[in-house]
Amino acid sequence: MSELFFLPKWPVLADQVPWYAVLLLAALLAGEAVWRLRLPRVLGWILAGIALGPSGFDILDHTALGGLRGLLEIAVGLILFELGQRLDMRWLQRNPWLLATSVLESSLGFAAIFAVLHLIGAKPLLAATAAAIGIATGPAVVLTLVKQLRAQGQVSERMLALTALNNAYAFVLWSVLFAWLHAEYRGGWVAASAHPLYLIFGSLALAALLAAVTLALLTVLGRRTDAQFVCLIALVVIAVSAASLLKLSVVLTLLGYGTLTRAFDRDRRFVSLDFGRTGQILVMLLFGITAAGLDLNLLPSGAVAGAALIAARYAGKTLGIFALARPSGLALRKASLLSLGLMPMSGVALIMARETSAIYPELGPALVTVVLSAIVMLELLGPLLAHFAIVRAGEAAEES
Amino acid sequence: MDDLAFKQAAALSFGVELELQLVNTRDCDLTRGASDLLAVVERKPHPGDIKPEITESMIELSTSIHTRHGELLAELRQIRDAVLAGADRLNIGVAGGGAHPFQHWSQRKIFESPRFKHLSDLYGYLAKQFTIFGQHVHIGCPSGDEALYLLHSMSRYVPHFIALSAASPYYQGVDTAFDSSRLNSVFAFPLSGRAPFVRRWEEFQAYFARMQGFGIVEDMKDFYWDIRPKPEYGTIEIRVCDTPVTVERAAALAAYAQALARYLLVERPHPLSEEVYHVYSYNRFQACRFGLEGEFADPHTQEKRSLREDIIATLDALAVHARELDAEEGLDEISDCVRTSGNDARWMREVYAKSHSLPDLVWRQAERWRGERT
Repeated sequence: MSELFFLPKWPVLADQVPWYAVLLLAALLAGEAVWRLRLPRVLGWILAGIALGPSGFDILDHTALGGLRGLLEIAVGLILFELGQRLDMRWLQRNPWLLATSVLESSLGFAAIFAVLHLIGAKPLLAATAAAIGIATGPAVVLTLVKQLRAQGQVSERMLALTALNNAYAFVLWSVLFAWLHAEYRGGWVAASAHPLYLIFGSLALAALLAAVTLALLTVLGRRTDAQFVCLIALVVIAVSAASLLKLSVVLTLLGYGTLTRAFDRDRRFVSLDFGRTGQILVMLLFGITAAGLDLNLLPSGAVAGAALIAARYAGKTLGIFALARPSGLALRKASLLSLGLMPMSGVALIMARETSAIYPELGPALVTVVLSAIVMLELLGPLLAHFAIVRAGEAAEES
Repeated sequence: MDDLAFKQAAALSFGVELELQLVNTRDCDLTRGASDLLAVVERKPHPGDIKPEITESMIELSTSIHTRHGELLAELRQIRDAVLAGADRLNIGVAGGGAHPFQHWSQRKIFESPRFKHLSDLYGYLAKQFTIFGQHVHIGCPSGDEALYLLHSMSRYVPHFIALSAASPYYQGVDTAFDSSRLNSVFAFPLSGRAPFVRRWEEFQAYFARMQGFGIVEDMKDFYWDIRPKPEYGTIEIRVCDTPVTVERAAALAAYAQALARYLLVERPHPLSEEVYHVYSYNRFQACRFGLEGEFADPHTQEKRSLREDIIATLDALAVHARELDAEEGLDEISDCVRTSGNDARWMREVYAKSHSLPDLVWRQAERWRGERT
């Protein structure tokens, strides 16, 4: 009826704007900006997410990004697979002290976080659930930094290996404690002991199956990187959904898938895998969207206790690494840098903390505030510390 | 040291230096790990010496002074095992070979030390391209004059060492068609090539003083000659060998050099003449490019034959000296290399032909370095 029918209706509806593209641009620009200041690009991506999220201009919310959930799951899957690949079983065999370091830093980290939360007044089971999440180092942060800096050396290699291992411990432990929290073990000790066994062995069996299938496919595909890349993306997606369907641990399955693909690959069919530009886009979105979910308003009230929680986590991990530095063949200077490198917290922690608090309003706002404040602070601080550790260790490539 | 006095060494004593590649165990590219590795290895006592080299992807090990091939080989194995024990704890792969097959030179990082920093500033990208791995053999000489005699008469045999040790057919991801591509990287340096033809040590000192006077060199290390005198050790140093893929081959090359030195010093088979250098570059190129199949122009008889034939003839002449030196086992390995099994470059091409994967080749080099036969 209007002669100007070809013009769009005004105002344009917000949900028609591809906000993820806006986020991507903002993250790109912020990343380059902080890079000029000799800070890690990851920090820029996180800041862009915060700026566009509810704590900032509030133009990103969950509905705007709902369609991306599947894409982000792939991103997480790819990151975990690649991290798993960086974990070399032969290294753990030849240097068992490294495995011992991993167990010790995770246990002491767990104990320290548990102690602080208990002091604040959390019930033991709740404190344990939160502490389980707390021992995991952020896989995306660590992997992205090492790749962007093209870092090589003991701090970088161990950072990746310990991160893979502490994520495996953390998420198995969390699944078990979470089930306990839900009183799902009413059935008694059978369920309580069978569940962790199912999680661990089921996830590893699925991982082994996937690794065997992958290597069988690679014998057909050969060593062409592009063919391997497509094959891997498909299999990682299958792995993520298979693990969820079977109620196994997605984290353990994907990490194990990566590790076993490397361990089984006797003829070195698998060429070095770089998820490249496609992977980069997914990772930027992952950082931005996770950061958009951070609630900065909690900071004023939770900062002090949150800082105590971070300090305890750092102390526990550091103690574990230093105690076994010498037998595992790590200089003390590098041990101190490695301790900083493990500080980034997993973005998944945020989701879990929020889920737990939604289910348990009786947790009290105090505890939630403390935990979420710690997460917010580590989200910003973690990449900086890990970046500092790699550069200070002299393991970053010269330019870039 | 300032006047370049030649320290007297036991004649025909010998020692070896080997530059080794440090690779990661994931995709077998060169990795930066020299500082970490040295820190771990130096905690335990070990024979010989293990030192950093110009980039973080490289270490150099050197033996003490020996007179017998068997002892040299035993020490090399011990040093190798000490390095491997440390490398295993850090998950670093160690491999022989004259060049990394597919590393990209721009990724290298210069080891932090004033000398290496200076070289990097002076030579720019050449310094990073210098990520190549050689074996140096030292032969003890009783005097500076004898050292110069040995150096010039040994020059005829430089192609032998190149062809026997050649282990760098792949470089920057391609088959270079050369058996030893490594030496092409050395030629780019202004002070590479051969020593000036002087016979008396005083003349050499005068030459060196002149070069120093220009400020062209500070010390002997600035010359990258194929064979260079090392007055502070009382040795001449043969520097054209690629680092072989095994320590056994490295020890055998040293035994060959030792027996050759004895032959030259005792029998004095050729009159010393600068004519040896007329065909020098040609023979050297043939050895680099074609290995044992290369042509050899004999500067003394004016004949042409294949390098293989010339080495076999030389082995016959050395037999009696090898017996005197207890070096027969070493020369047997050389004989096997030249007659049947071929040099490491041939082995590398055969491995690659099967897998078509350069990372796989590096992996197998590391296995062989460990002493595993594949």
